[in-house]
Amino acid sequence: MGKHKVTFQPSDRHIFVDEGENLLQAAMEAGIHINASCGGNATCGKCKVKIVGGAVASPMHAGLSEAEYADGYRLACLSTVTGDVDVDIPLESQVDKSVLALKGDRLAAPYLLSPKDIFQLVQGWDVDPTVFKRYVELDPPTLNDNVSDLTRLTHAIYRQHGINGISSDFRLIMKLSRLLRKADWKVTVTLVQTRKGYKLINAEAGDNRQQNYSIVLDIGTTTIFGQILNLNECRVAACPDGACDGATIFALAEASDYNPQISYGEDVITRIVYSQKPGGLKKMQETVVASINGIIDELLKMSRIDRSLVSHLVVAGNTTMTQLLLGVDPKYIREAPYVPTANLIPPVRAVHLGINVGDHVHIYLFPCVASYVGGDIVAGILGSGIFQREALTLYMDIGTNGEIVIGNKDWLASVSCSAGPAFEGAGIKFGMRATRGAIEEVSINPRTCEPMILTIGRVKPIGICGSGLIDAVAELLEAGVIDQKGKFHQNLPTKRVRKGEDGYEYVLAYKNETRIQDDIVLTEIDIENLIRTKGSIYAGCKVLLKSVGLGFKDLEQIIIAGGFGRHLDLEKAIFIGLLPEIDARKFIFVGNGSLLGARLLSFSKELLKETERIALMMTNLELSNHAGFMDEFIAAMFLPHTDASAFPGVHKRLRAGREAV
Amino acid sequence: MAFSIPKTTYTGKIKEVALGKGPKAITVGGETSYPFHLFEGEMPHPPRIAIEVYDTPPDEWSEAALEPYRDVLGDPVAWAKKAAAVYGADLIALQLVSTDPNGLNTPSDQAAETAKKVVAAVDIPVIVNGSGSHEKDAELLRKVAETCDGLNLVVGPVVVDNYKQIGAGAIAYKHTVAANSPIDINLAKQLNILLGNLGVPDGQIVVDPTTGGLGYGIEYTYSVMERDRMAALTQQDERLQFPIICDLAKETWKTKEAKAGDSPLMGNAAKRGVLMEAITAQLLLLAGADVLIMRHPEAIRLVREMIADLMA
Repeated sequence: MGKHKVTFQPSDRHIFVDEGENLLQAAMEAGIHINASCGGNATCGKCKVKIVGGAVASPMHAGLSEAEYADGYRLACLSTVTGDVDVDIPLESQVDKSVLALKGDRLAAPYLLSPKDIFQLVQGWDVDPTVFKRYVELDPPTLNDNVSDLTRLTHAIYRQHGINGISSDFRLIMKLSRLLRKADWKVTVTLVQTRKGYKLINAEAGDNRQQNYSIVLDIGTTTIFGQILNLNECRVAACPDGACDGATIFALAEASDYNPQISYGEDVITRIVYSQKPGGLKKMQETVVASINGIIDELLKMSRIDRSLVSHLVVAGNTTMTQLLLGVDPKYIREAPYVPTANLIPPVRAVHLGINVGDHVHIYLFPCVASYVGGDIVAGILGSGIFQREALTLYMDIGTNGEIVIGNKDWLASVSCSAGPAFEGAGIKFGMRATRGAIEEVSINPRTCEPMILTIGRVKPIGICGSGLIDAVAELLEAGVIDQKGKFHQNLPTKRVRKGEDGYEYVLAYKNETRIQDDIVLTEIDIENLIRTKGSIYAGCKVLLKSVGLGFKDLEQIIIAGGFGRHLDLEKAIFIGLLPEIDARKFIFVGNGSLLGARLLSFSKELLKETERIALMMTNLELSNHAGFMDEFIAAMFLPHTDASAFPGVHKRLRAGREAV
Repeated sequence: MAFSIPKTTYTGKIKEVALGKGPKAITVGGETSYPFHLFEGEMPHPPRIAIEVYDTPPDEWSEAALEPYRDVLGDPVAWAKKAAAVYGADLIALQLVSTDPNGLNTPSDQAAETAKKVVAAVDIPVIVNGSGSHEKDAELLRKVAETCDGLNLVVGPVVVDNYKQIGAGAIAYKHTVAANSPIDINLAKQLNILLGNLGVPDGQIVVDPTTGGLGYGIEYTYSVMERDRMAALTQQDERLQFPIICDLAKETWKTKEAKAGDSPLMGNAAKRGVLMEAITAQLLLLAGADVLIMRHPEAIRLVREMIADLMA
C-alpha cells in the first residue's frame, strides 16, 4: 500500500501516512496541533482546516458553511487521506514555528510507538504448542486382541504419531471406554508436554483437531487481561475489530477487567495484610477467580468458541497475585527477608481453583524470581526476546509495580519498585483502562491552552487512559500550564484551568463534549500521582543501572511494556521524565509484556525450558533496603527531573517556551 | 619528606547575595571551598548572625532566653534596636509569629506595618519570616514585600506551595527569598529551579534547608547541607550554588533540654540552653551556613569567637 505525503502549513511539516488515514490522527502524529475537544467524533466542529492542495475524502458538516466548504474548509476528524495533500491550519490552532522546531522530527525517528509482537521480537521458534491434538483411528478389540482400551489408545498414538511414553490423566480413564465405542474408535486426543514426558488429558469423538484453543491471562495487581488463542493457527482468536495479525493486536483483541481484589487494597502489601484476616485468603482467591471466569466468559462469547475446546491456560502474574490465585498464603512475601513459597509451581488443574473450563485443563503458571519479581516479568523477558539477544537491553514493565530488568542472553538483573496504578488509569479522577472512549492522545496549544484530544474508537470521551495522561502532562508542562512540580500556574489566558473540588484542574473536555454527565478534568492530585509513578520507575532504573556499573547511555535497547494504551508517545514520555532522554531508535514498545510471553509459551513448547532458565538466571536486587533509592526517587519527582543535565533536550524546549511568553 | 595537606579541587562557587540597603548592607556567599577550608579556597564573606525579634511577646520561651530582652518584649521596634545596638546583630530576623492563623491570626496588613517600622528603625538588613502557614505566608510576605518596596529584605520561608505568590512579590519589589525545603537536597534544588523559572534572579535567592535542633535531627540537616555544598562546589550543580540560611534559635530553644529548669542531673538551665544553641550554631557553620538566626547574646558571643578563630 502506497504512502501519501501530508503537508501542514504554515509550519511546513509533513508526514507520510497510509491510504485512508484520518487527517486529525495524521496531524497528531506529525506533532501538529489542531483544536479538537470531542475526541475526533465530529461533534465539536473545532478541527476546521483548509485543504489547499491534493485530495481528501471529507463530507459536509453542520459546523461548516456552504461557502467555507466550497472554499476548501473541512473538519480534520471527518477527513480521510486519499492522496498527497496540503493542509492549511487556521490561525487559532497555530503554534509558533520556533516552538515547533524544537519538537522531535517525527520523520527521522518513530516517536509514536505501536506494540511489537513476538513474531518480530523472538527468533527461531516453531509453532509447536505444549498442548496439542492428534487424530487417531483405533482397531476395535477382538477376542484375539483384547488389550485394555487405554493401552489400545496409547499404542495407536505411538503407531500413528510416533509419540511414546505417554502417561494418562485419571479423569480421562473414567470416561474412556464409552467414549471410544460411541466414537466408533475414531477420536481426537489432547496431549500435553510435561517435564516428565507426554500426558494424555482428553479425548473427543471424531476429528476435532482444528479446534484447539488456549487462554492466556495476565493477572496484574490493578488489571487482569485475557486473550483466547487459536493454537493451530497461531493467532489470537477473538478479535472484535477484525485485524488480528501479531503486529496490530493489543487491548482491543482481548478482554480485560480491573482486578476486583482492589477493593481490599490497591497494592500487594495491603492485600497480603487482608489475606491474613480470618477468611481473607479464601475471599481474595475467590474474587480473582470470579473475575477470571468473567473474562473467560467474555472471551468465549466474543469468539463463539465452545468452552470444551479450550485445552490450556497460561497465567502470568506477580508473585503475590500468583500465590493469591492459588490460595497459597503470601504472608512471608511481606516480611523480611521477603521469601515466596515457591518459584516453580507445577501445573495445576484449573477446576481445582474454581476456574470454569473443562476439567482436563491445566494451568501453566510462569515461574517467579523473588517476592517482588514475578512470573509476569519472566513472561515479559521471554516474549520480548531479551533472553536470546547479545545487545544490552533494559526491560521496563510499567504497572502497579514497576519491574525493571537489565541484561541480555547471558545475564539478567532485576528490581521492583512500587509505582502505583496511575498509568492503568486507577487513582486518577477520570482515569480508565485503554478501552473505547478513553482519551489516548492529547496536544495542547501553548498560546491559547486549547486541547486537541483523540479517543480510542474516535467516540466522545468518557475518561483518560495511560497514554493520554502521559501526553496531557507533557503538553501541559510544555505549554507552561503547569510548573516542573506539576502545579498549575494561575492567571493564564484560559478558562480551562480552574479551581475544582480537588484543587486546581484542567478541563480536557466539557460536559457536552463527553459521554458522561461531567466535565473531564485532570487535577493537580492526578498529576501528583503520575509524577510519583514515573519517578519511582525512573529511580528504579537508575539504581539498577548504577548497581551494575552502567548508565542509560550504555544501553543498546530499551523495551517498554505496560498497559498505557494502544501506543506510547516516546517524545512525551521522555518529556515528563518517565523514560531517559536517549536516541529514540533504541526504544521498543511491546504493550502488555506478560501476555506477550504467555502467548509465546502457548504456541511453542520448546520455550518451556527457556522460561525456567530465565527465572533461574535473574538476580534480584532488593530496593526496600537500598540506601540510594529514596534519594533517586525524590530527584525523579520533578518534571522531567531534578538533574537538568540528564534531559538537555527537554530543558532546551522548556526554556524556549518560557522565553516565548 | 615534608607532609603536605591533601587538597580538594573545587569547580564551583557559591553565588554572592547582597542583603539590605545602605552603608550597612552586607553580602553573603562567594565561597570557593568547603566552610573554613581557607587552605583550599576563599571565603570572602564571613558567616553572619541575625538576632530574632518577635512581633508579639513569646509565650513559651525559657527564663534564660527571655532575660536579655525582658525590657523590650512586646515592642518589636525597641527589641530590634536593642539587638542591633547592644548585642551587635549583623541582621535582624523579624519573626511574624502572631500572624499564625491557628494563633492570634494578626492580619497581613497590620503585620506588614510592623515590619515596615522595624526596618525603618534599624540600619542593618532585615529578615522577615512568616509563621510557616503556607497560605497565610503567601499573602503576608507579598504584603511585606510591597510595603517595604526596594529595601532588599529576606522574606521566608518560601515553600513549593507558595513560591509563585511570594516569588512574584520578591521580583516586583526587589527582595531576597529564603527558599525552604524539608531537609532534602533534591527538594531544595527543585525549589531553586522553580524560583529561577519564575524569574527570581539568582542574586535574590538564599536556601533555608530546615534546621533540626541539637539532639533533634541536627545530623539530617548537617548531611543535607554538606551534600549541598559538595554538589555546588565539586559537581558544578548550578542550582545549589546559593548561600544557606539556618533558622536555628526556635528549634534549639523549644527542646525539652533547653526549657527544663535547674536540676542536679542536668545542671544550670541558662548555661545549658546557651550551650545548646551555640553548639547547634557551630555544627551548622561547619556544614556550610552563611546566615544564622540566633537568640541568646551569650551563645552569639561564643559563636562569634569561633568564627573569628576559624577565619583567622
